Amino acid sequence: MLTLAHFLSLGAILFCLGVAGIFLNRKNVIILLMCIELMLLAVNMNFVAFSRFLGNMDGQVFVFFILTVAASEAAIGLAILVVLFRNRRTINVAELDELKG
Amino acid sequence: MPITEIVFYVFSLVMVSAGVAVITVRNPVYSALFLVLAFFSSAAIWLLLEAEFLAIVLILVYVGAVMVLFLFVVMMLDINLTPLKEGFIRYLPVGIVVAVLMAAELLLVIWSKGSFDQGAFPIPPPNPVGFSNTKALGELLFTNYLLAFEAAGVILLVAIIAAIALTLRKRVGEKRQNPAMQVRVQRDERVRLVKMDPEPRQGN
Amino acid sequence: MNTTNMLLAAPEFWVLIMACVILIADLFIREERRGIIHMMAMITLVFAAIITVRGDYLSEGLRSATAFNGSFIRDPMGDVLKLFSFFILGIVYVYAKFYLRQFRMFRTDFYTLTLFALLGVMLLISANSLVTIYLGLELTSLSTYALVAFDRESKRGSEAAMKYFVLGSMASGMLLYGMSMIYGATGSMDLADISVAISNQDGDSMILVFGLVFLVVGLAFKLGVVPFHMWIPDVYEGAPAAVTLFISAIPKMAGFAMAYRLLYTGLGDLHTDWQQMLSILAVLSIVLGNLAAIAQTNIKRMLAYSTISHMGFILMGLLPGTADGFGASMYYVIVYSLMSAGAFGMIILLSARGVEAEQLDDFKGLNQRNGWYAAIMAMIMFSMAGVPVFVGFFAKWLVIKAALDAGLLWLAISAVIFSVVGAFYYLRVIKLMYFDEPLTESPIDAPVDFNAVISLNGLLMLGLGVFSGSLIAVCMSAFGA
Repeated sequence: MLTLAHFLSLGAILFCLGVAGIFLNRKNVIILLMCIELMLLAVNMNFVAFSRFLGNMDGQVFVFFILTVAASEAAIGLAILVVLFRNRRTINVAELDELKG
Repeated sequence: MPITEIVFYVFSLVMVSAGVAVITVRNPVYSALFLVLAFFSSAAIWLLLEAEFLAIVLILVYVGAVMVLFLFVVMMLDINLTPLKEGFIRYLPVGIVVAVLMAAELLLVIWSKGSFDQGAFPIPPPNPVGFSNTKALGELLFTNYLLAFEAAGVILLVAIIAAIALTLRKRVGEKRQNPAMQVRVQRDERVRLVKMDPEPRQGN
Repeated sequence: MNTTNMLLAAPEFWVLIMACVILIADLFIREERRGIIHMMAMITLVFAAIITVRGDYLSEGLRSATAFNGSFIRDPMGDVLKLFSFFILGIVYVYAKFYLRQFRMFRTDFYTLTLFALLGVMLLISANSLVTIYLGLELTSLSTYALVAFDRESKRGSEAAMKYFVLGSMASGMLLYGMSMIYGATGSMDLADISVAISNQDGDSMILVFGLVFLVVGLAFKLGVVPFHMWIPDVYEGAPAAVTLFISAIPKMAGFAMAYRLLYTGLGDLHTDWQQMLSILAVLSIVLGNLAAIAQTNIKRMLAYSTISHMGFILMGLLPGTADGFGASMYYVIVYSLMSAGAFGMIILLSARGVEAEQLDDFKGLNQRNGWYAAIMAMIMFSMAGVPVFVGFFAKWLVIKAALDAGLLWLAISAVIFSVVGAFYYLRVIKLMYFDEPLTESPIDAPVDFNAVISLNGLLMLGLGVFSGSLIAVCMSAFGA
């Protein structure tokens, strides 16, 4: 039987993959952005599962908003990335060292 | 094994492997494509959870627009790939330890007795025939969540403004419109009335 | 939508409409007459304040009113915070105009993005459900991410924006994961319903605590408290001074309101759990913020670390979970925003054409160059250090008193010790201004409105300290203390 715990586990694993990805990829900012998308997908999975098992639609409405915001976030993130690349000619995280202290 | 479980396990497996691939492959283009795969499998699982509208939206909007934007940027920025991956091996052990520990803790809580098992959350009956997920979602969206809906609209507007403000630039020798000049234009600047003598009639 | 809904949220709608009007008006205004945009933004703030003050929404005996199915709440606390947001944003605009003109960045985007961020702040202050909190937070964050990269040619600006963006989005992810657990455990998005559902549950609250951990991590990231503070110094240093000024002053008020609503209104029954977590974060922030600030030579970075320690104090006021504590915390956040605006105003004042005065050495011998400006900066620094008579002292005192009343002795003691340690780097600035020789003799000149506002800002440090009773009373009565 598929219980709520099955779906939540899937969400948890995805979430950890997203967090691990942020730790691992010290070199490429684009992959960092994708890891954030992965985290949000995990959260959405949680909300959809809860919504189904609680029998109320509020969770799905929240997912609708998270998708909207995540799309805006991706747009702004990529815009910042483009500006960064124009200024530095690199998107290597390790080379982002102008700010230190 | 009932068909729903087979579907669940197959798509979960695909999704998790795609997730692993997203964070490990060399080339960001492959990364983006694996993320698309993860979104597709996720949409299938959402269908199992009877969230049909969101499943479709995830594919249409997310894969169709956001991931295409990602691919577009990846290809637009001409990134030198080789140096981008060095150091990956160095952080790998730390990353694996963090991920495994965190996942273990999360799973421990999720599978602890009485929290999310069948006793606490019994498996709900399927929605009745003729139930429209889209309609139910729409009704909530335009009543209880009206304020949130408006706020989401404003967030999209901010995204547009921010993206344009950050990336729009003037290049030398480029032709562009100046809206402020365009709306302020006067009739006299565009129309010149020329006094002309009428043409003499061609006699016949 | 009925009219009560609209009336309760009238200030928000006004700001939204004006932000869009300014966006469009930009198309009709010639570049050299862009001062009009500045005036429009100021008018927006003035009328937003008038609408907020004149809104008569409380019915007999009630302390708050909700709209939009309980997702939006108007109460005295929210009104006070919003009024101060308008007031301080007004100050920010005067300083920012001078800066943006000097650095050739006087573009309308600054005004529209800050107004949208203000809208997010207002929404967050009035949020009464998880959905509204999330959307308000993201509206504020997305606008500020873009603002940090406002100077598009700046390497440091774009780098800071990228770091801010990645860490901020990760924090949002954490916060959302926590929210999903809270939703799963209570079955509701509405903070009032969540609170009821939690008090009806008996015993097994492991999932709730589990969700709470993620919420606190997300919140700590957004507030910038140790150990989730890494982005603050980089963003403060990398962003243009006008943007740092904005970030340091306005979103902090929303951060306080968000912590209060989420932790107290929604999860008040988990008070003992979050008290433990927050007390560790608070003491770490106060210790590490003050120690790291001593080592800085860049004043923007120094103020960033000082912000981290101030955030620790604000968290400390939340810990007791009493009306006195919340009142003290709110008083602190308002006072902090005023001090911070003044300090960054001074940095902007000293920035000569194209070069930001971001080194501590730039303040050397300020007294010889202009005695009045040095006096203003001295008043701000005394206030930040918490020297008696100045307003910052009363803020620190109230927060520490609230912690003592709640029996958090060790926390109060470490706060006192490290504010004495912290006084060192504030007083160092004063020493540089009065006892060192100036590096340059170039005169400092600023427009009339700038001079008037910065003088007011400096005098407020003293005035609000000498007559501290009324503002404290306002903050306390907002929580019914």
